[in-house]
Amino acid sequence: MADVNHTHEIDVSTHIDADVECTIGELLSAYLDGELRVGELDLVVSHLNDCLECIAEFHDLKEARAAVRMMPMLQVPESAMPAAHYGPELSAFLDGELTADEQQMIVKHLQTCTDCLLELQDLDGARTAIRSLPGLEPPTPIAPRLPVHHQRTSLRRLGVAAAAVIGAILITFNMASSGPEPTAVDLDQLADQHNVRLSVEDGVSGVPVNAPGATP
Amino acid sequence: MAEDRVPTWEDVARRYGRKIYTFAYRLTGNPDDASDLVQEVLLRVRKGLANYTPGSFEGWLWRITRNAFLDEVRKKKRRPTTQLPEDDRAIVGSTPSPDEVLASVRLSDDVQAALLKIPLEFRECVVLCDVVGLSYEEISSAIDAPVGTVRSRIHRGRKQLRGLLTWPM
Ligand SMILES: [Zn+2]
Ligand SMILES: [Zn+2]
Repeated sequence: MADVNHTHEIDVSTHIDADVECTIGELLSAYLDGELRVGELDLVVSHLNDCLECIAEFHDLKEARAAVRMMPMLQVPESAMPAAHYGPELSAFLDGELTADEQQMIVKHLQTCTDCLLELQDLDGARTAIRSLPGLEPPTPIAPRLPVHHQRTSLRRLGVAAAAVIGAILITFNMASSGPEPTAVDLDQLADQHNVRLSVEDGVSGVPVNAPGATP
Repeated sequence: MAEDRVPTWEDVARRYGRKIYTFAYRLTGNPDDASDLVQEVLLRVRKGLANYTPGSFEGWLWRITRNAFLDEVRKKKRRPTTQLPEDDRAIVGSTPSPDEVLASVRLSDDVQAALLKIPLEFRECVVLCDVVGLSYEEISSAIDAPVGTVRSRIHRGRKQLRGLLTWPM
């Protein structure tokens, strides 16, 4: 680090060549951004006292930075904001399949969102309608239970809790008059809506990825 | 945003929607891609919030944003377009004269065009720093690279940018 300064002062001519730059150069952007590490600040400040090239570069960097910063924040088009509503989560909520945190999130949302509350009511109606169908004997041996199953026992209790919450919310909203009408529910349509939403919701990848192309 | 509480999805959409959109727009120069990205990011945030543990919210959010951006780029199998923006709707506080508006849009277009000409790795760091306003540390966490790399990319990005900007400043 010590002879950085030295080398540069001796060979000022190489500075003009775009390929060869003063090694202090890279510190200049960090200096602008207040991001220098301990010990670097003195180095940069003293260097800027006598290196004309770096002073010029510093001004260039400052201008480039100002240029980017003066660009306005843009307005998000209405269409770009996804609806703040819950689709697939509502069914999972009814079935007690959400985590406690997710459940809390939904409950909070339902307190203010009539849309989701209505949908929840529909889903609940549909669910009741399906469950009231006469039970049939399974034709073949029952499919093996999925390993997920054992987790459900405790979650099922959440389902009960969810039902209680809905009840409470429905009462608050005083919607008993219109009441759910299970017979009128088009199950296929409901399922379709559901699938569409599911496909939109697909995939959270937390996997860090490297940018394509060359790395400096 | 406070570090010790989990924001609601509505908070995030309200507070960061514009930033995410602007981030995407500055990287792609394309309003449709920017819209797609905002949607995708906000959906991912909604899913992710349930498991989010209070910490560096900015780091978390921009890591999601950045990953979503790269996924979109890969999915669409095309490089970020170099089309010129026609759509810089500035948010202006006081009412400037028409000339001022035009001049500022023109400047902004020039810078946007120049941004699109520098390598994506540099552009991304410059935008996270100067548009989004993240610290080097936060950028490092967002792009999953050492701070030294961030520093170097910002520097090189700015140098190239200045070389591309012809107007007197
Ligand atoms: Zn120098
Ligand atoms: Zn809703």
